[in-house]
Amino acid sequence: MPSNQTPPGDPVPPSRGKIAERLLPGGTEPDPRFTLANERTFLAWIRTALALLAGGIAIEAFTSDLFPEPVRKSLAVLLLLLGMLLSAGAAGRWVRVERSMRNKTPLPLPLIVPLLAGAGALAAAVVLVFILWR
Amino acid sequence: MVRTRRPDPGPHGDPGLQPERTTLAWGRTMMALVTVSAIFLRWLPHHGFPILLLFAVSAAAAAAIYLTQRRRYGASARGISRERVDADTSAVLWTAFAGVALGALGIGVVLAG
Repeated sequence: MPSNQTPPGDPVPPSRGKIAERLLPGGTEPDPRFTLANERTFLAWIRTALALLAGGIAIEAFTSDLFPEPVRKSLAVLLLLLGMLLSAGAAGRWVRVERSMRNKTPLPLPLIVPLLAGAGALAAAVVLVFILWR
Repeated sequence: MVRTRRPDPGPHGDPGLQPERTTLAWGRTMMALVTVSAIFLRWLPHHGFPILLLFAVSAAAAAAIYLTQRRRYGASARGISRERVDADTSAVLWTAFAGVALGALGIGVVLAG
């Protein structure tokens, strides 16, 4: 084991659990504040995803007298799909950030940001087109 | 000493209150899950039985967070004290899985109904 993998004062690192050691191998333990901040950022993304899921369901359940079925269903599926992708993407980003903090490399760019912006704009465009041409 | 009456930073001595903020963030997520599960229940008359699956997933995820909050705060407070917090990989993966499952089940219900 290279010497830079063992922080001073912690000669025998305790086990981190199987999943963590497989998913976040090597490197050194980051500042615990950074680990907790990464976790809170992940949770903020999860709450965003939950809001999108709730929105998709609300559209399907409560707008039957407003939108015709194809518009309603495609909007609902779009929002639910976005919520699903954001949930998975949030976990992926959490892992990549945790890895780069362990290895002291620059943080990765968030792919879920353009995903959220693009799909949100698409959903707004669907509603706008429908309202203008109704 | 200029400042003698400093507020108690808690059992971990972190003035940034990282364990508190993280535990509260989990609590907000738990409340969001409870809200979402209530919205699912509101959907029950329209779509019937499959909605109970969605409700069960979100309610179970909320309950899992609720039941682990005390352990979570303790682990992060101790972790800040000894300058080492283990990344909570399993909690992150389960929460993300709940979001993916809710989205997939929801899409199934919309397309079927």
